[in-house]
Amino acid sequence: MRSQLAPQGVEFTRVSENLITARRIARGITFVVLVAAAAMPLLLRSLGAWSGYPAWLAWLLPAATLAAVVWAFALIPRQVRAIGYAERNDDLLIRQGIYFERLMVVPYGRMQYVDVTVGPLERALGLSSLKLHTASPSTNAALPGLPATEAARLREQLTARGEAKLAGL
Amino acid sequence: MSQPDDAAAGFGTDGPETWHHVHPVSPFVRGWVAVLAVLFIFGRNGMEDLFRGLANGGDYAPNTAPVWVILSIVGAAVVVFGISFYLSWRFTRYQVTDEYVHINSGVVFRQQRKARIERVQAIDVVQPLLARVFGLAELKFDVADGGKSAMKLAFLKLDEARRLRSAILARAAGLPADPQGPAVVVEAPEQVVLALTPGRVVGSVLLSGITVMALVLSAGVALLVVRTGSVAVLAAFIPMVLGVVAAYWQRFTTDFNFRVAVSPDGVRLHYGMLETRSQTIPPGRVQAVGLSQGPVWRMLGWYKIHVNVAGYGADAREGGTRTVVLPVGTQAEAMVVLGLLFPDPGVDNPHEVFAAGLNGTGDAQGFIHSPPAARWIDPLAWRRTAYRATATALLCRHGILYRRLQVVPHERTQSLSLYQGPIMRALGLVDFELHSTAGPVRPVVHHMDLAAAHQLFDEQAARAAVARRIHRSERWMEAAPAPLVELVETASSAPAASAAPVAELVETKVPGSETKDAGSAP
Repeated sequence: MRSQLAPQGVEFTRVSENLITARRIARGITFVVLVAAAAMPLLLRSLGAWSGYPAWLAWLLPAATLAAVVWAFALIPRQVRAIGYAERNDDLLIRQGIYFERLMVVPYGRMQYVDVTVGPLERALGLSSLKLHTASPSTNAALPGLPATEAARLREQLTARGEAKLAGL
Repeated sequence: MSQPDDAAAGFGTDGPETWHHVHPVSPFVRGWVAVLAVLFIFGRNGMEDLFRGLANGGDYAPNTAPVWVILSIVGAAVVVFGISFYLSWRFTRYQVTDEYVHINSGVVFRQQRKARIERVQAIDVVQPLLARVFGLAELKFDVADGGKSAMKLAFLKLDEARRLRSAILARAAGLPADPQGPAVVVEAPEQVVLALTPGRVVGSVLLSGITVMALVLSAGVALLVVRTGSVAVLAAFIPMVLGVVAAYWQRFTTDFNFRVAVSPDGVRLHYGMLETRSQTIPPGRVQAVGLSQGPVWRMLGWYKIHVNVAGYGADAREGGTRTVVLPVGTQAEAMVVLGLLFPDPGVDNPHEVFAAGLNGTGDAQGFIHSPPAARWIDPLAWRRTAYRATATALLCRHGILYRRLQVVPHERTQSLSLYQGPIMRALGLVDFELHSTAGPVRPVVHHMDLAAAHQLFDEQAARAAVARRIHRSERWMEAAPAPLVELVETASSAPAASAAPVAELVETKVPGSETKDAGSAP
């Protein structure tokens, strides 16, 4: 599916493919827990502890959950590849999402501060997350899964440009 | 400190060694509820015991406390409150220099706050009822830290609070200190442009959402009475009735005597019946404006105006009243207030354009509405959902039943985004969001045509960049003194424009062992 939002003639840099692994691990755990929870009634029923539970629901619930989870799992690579950013002269462009797509532009002069965070899983895969904050709480400019060196470079670059283009509020 | 005391004295600012105390009665005015509560609890217990003792034949029952115990407890409470009030007063000091406002407070946990004066976003002078009895007022100094009301001076004599406000605003405006001038602060003259009559306030409160809720509730109660056939259920709804009455009362006393005034220091709002408040919003501090009109108000042609100001934040604590710059007004009055907030609308015929934004549909006055494809997801309002970019601001129009118009100056846009869900993608539509500081106005243009949205996205990013570059100083009078209306155009980019990030708030906390402010703690 071609993106309608991505502007013409802008080359977006993708985040690291390692983010796919990171998300697969993190979400995989959540998904297993979800499916296990949805399968509980079925287990109870087959053990005879909850015989009044309708059979069709007992099978449908975990099946539907499993289908949703498998689909969400299969989407991870495309979601990760949909995350991109582009540094322009005055501002930073960030795009994300495939079905619910968002394109954001943050002027360098509006940045109040830049956060770089690293979790244990990210550290193991050599990744960092970067987040830009402006004076607006609606600015949700996060870039997950940057290679650690790229995150450091971007942070320095952004703060340097922010200082150069600084505008008050 | 850049200047010695004598040069600064012209504006009543302090030197590095001059410190002031708040009024000695302040801790009591702040803590009177606690005092009353303690007195009430002990007093009532004591009285009950006393009367029970009397009823038992003049002698105390063996399990009640004797008088001296009660008296000593009350005495101890008085001493404890007295000492904590005294300490809280003794340790709260403030200083207003040419560049900073300092407030030191706290007895055990000391707190030293220092805020740059030119960073001021808004100043309030608040007089709660009890403070009015003593002729005192609280001064609030807001910086852009998301509405946490950084600097609070409670309480000062009313004159002193106003003098400080003028001094801070004069300094923030960048007025040069006059070395030969006397040590008097000249309060910027203020001119009332619009005042709401009590009748209008009553009308607006009666025709507000409270009444709709009250009607729905009464209908529910009536239905219940009819179904159960018992009138006794009515008793259960007495708290609700009280709640509704209290909501009416709250709205009425808040909006009572609402006046909008203008001074070179910015727009000033005065309002309140029991607790009076006067807010000052200096020029250039308004981040976004929202005008709204519900279906009932439409019959009367009334509007309400909200603003986003960085210092007010989301404004949940104050009941959302601080962000209201006009609780109810006709279209003409709304235009006047809009004119004060945005002296330069960026079009030649602002009245027609804003009127089209408030009431119009379709593409009158250069508004661009959603394409016909939007009918599938927005069948009624798609011709109302529109935007118009003027030279200085973006206007976003919404809603057919509940009408809204949002105005965002180009140089106040923080960031932009385009958003598209699966249905919108199928229809070729895009939401265009502008990110403003925290507040009641969240500007967005819904369901734009894809190509138009791309164009607006690029144009708006460019316009915001240009507007920021020519953005005037935070010190709104640093250029030659100009007549009020021309303020926006004249003040050019001065060195202060390239200052540090939002809240340059220096806060030092010295660890100790107790709460941060003994005065408000009891």
